[in-house]
Amino acid sequence: MSDYFVSLLIRIGIEAFVALSAYLLLLMGRMSFGQQGFFVIGAYAAGLATALYGMPLLPGVALGALVAALGGALFAGPMAAPRGLAFAAGSLAFGELVRVALLDLYFQGQVGPDLIGPAGPDGFRGIRALFTSGVSVTTYAVGIWLALGVTLLATAFFLRSRWGEALRMIGEDEEAAATVGLPVRRVKVSALAGAGGLAGLGGGLFAHYATYVEPGHADVMLGVHSLAYAFIGGLGTPLGPIIGVALDIGFLESFRFLAGYRMIIFGGLVMGLLIVRPRGLLDEVAVHRLSRFLMRGRR
Amino acid sequence: MLAIEGLSKRFGGVQAVQRVDLQVRQNEILGLIGPNGSGKSTIVNLVTGVYAPTEGRVRLRARDITGWAPHRVLAAGIGRTFQSIRLFGGLTVWQNLWVARQAQAGAGRLRGWLAVDRAGMKRIEATLEFCRLLDRRDELARNLAFGEQRRLELARTLTADPEVVLLDEPAAGMNVAEIEELRDRILTLKQRGKTIVLIEHHMELVMEVAERVAVLNFGEKIAEGPPARVQDDERVREAYLGKRRD
Repeated sequence: MSDYFVSLLIRIGIEAFVALSAYLLLLMGRMSFGQQGFFVIGAYAAGLATALYGMPLLPGVALGALVAALGGALFAGPMAAPRGLAFAAGSLAFGELVRVALLDLYFQGQVGPDLIGPAGPDGFRGIRALFTSGVSVTTYAVGIWLALGVTLLATAFFLRSRWGEALRMIGEDEEAAATVGLPVRRVKVSALAGAGGLAGLGGGLFAHYATYVEPGHADVMLGVHSLAYAFIGGLGTPLGPIIGVALDIGFLESFRFLAGYRMIIFGGLVMGLLIVRPRGLLDEVAVHRLSRFLMRGRR
Repeated sequence: MLAIEGLSKRFGGVQAVQRVDLQVRQNEILGLIGPNGSGKSTIVNLVTGVYAPTEGRVRLRARDITGWAPHRVLAAGIGRTFQSIRLFGGLTVWQNLWVARQAQAGAGRLRGWLAVDRAGMKRIEATLEFCRLLDRRDELARNLAFGEQRRLELARTLTADPEVVLLDEPAAGMNVAEIEELRDRILTLKQRGKTIVLIEHHMELVMEVAERVAVLNFGEKIAEGPPARVQDDERVREAYLGKRRD
């Protein structure tokens, strides 16, 4: 496999985690413009764990995800109740808050000859656990996709369980959900924590691939893109956001002749699609029809 | 059974409900009537935990359930329907009941998560049958006709098997045949031991099924008693028709 192809696969895999996290919240009727905040929290936390405290790669990345999930739970404190525009604005503010806070975060320690750790606007360099562990980039790419596959399966299972039903109920009508007996607040806090963890997992994986994170990685465009991915692919299945990422990064960005026009095409694609299919290519109705069609064969 | 004591709710400067006392006896059908904006739905929302009351208590049997979250109120035994239909439109008829059933089973326990809830499936089937929706079970809720949606909402409430059912204008928008069917269904529910609070504008229905009627006007209870007596009450006539001008 060419290096370019591998790097493309890694990028798709990593952004897929963020897209999945935005997707989960969309199911719950929450449009988050702040998942990039959890992404960098996961990236910084995982980087600190491995680079500064010598944790091995896997536990380090897992810890990053856990910290981001915790961040999600804390975020849920004030943000579980608001919905619609209020939630969108609040999540955007949160993402920016994280980015700006990281500009002021200095937390370096001596590791061997180097000073390692977050250094404000200069970012956090020297997250080398992947390369010192001797894992090749290709193996890492395979690992990311395995993790993504497992996450997707888990998400699909989760969404078919009562947890998924609970998310969709809240997305459709919170009062009705509460009235039929759903502990609404508990579900919302768990979902925000879970979505934070997913984005953080992507962040940890990214930090170790790039060996470097900076506050700029919490750019709002990451959040906007992850939302767009979910919308393009469709809200009917967790495969939707992955399809969205693959379409954008895999297709639009890999065609060099589109260089410079990518964002224009992407933007147009999102607009056009939202007019024709407001809930994405594979929306609930499409998935419902598809599964009914497949079930018919079995009966 | 259900006791409302000195219940008040203020929204900013608006006194929506003012010191209302109401006793609902076990297995009775209580009609709650009043002009638009008289506070009927607010009382339902206060009892079921959608709003917290400014003052007063709500008791179910001996338990004080004032200010409980909606899911706990349901678990305690009070179910409700909404004045404007609130279904999960993207789910099928069957799923609408299934998710309700699942939500009631409690979220976190792993064993309940993995086990197939056969008793629940049976119960859903029976409820659909009761609400004459069994043949529509795989249809998306949003594709149902209006009357069917109303029936589905009732069915969804009944899956929890609440002791007390609060029906918020269940006949709104229904035709004569549908209202008759609804009447029979309400009476069957009573036979099955349910306690029912019927909030309704459709007087004929209330007068036919309710054993007692309470009347609200501007958030206050102005009359209470057997349907015939309430109908003749001067204050009730005024509330509905306005004061005599002579």
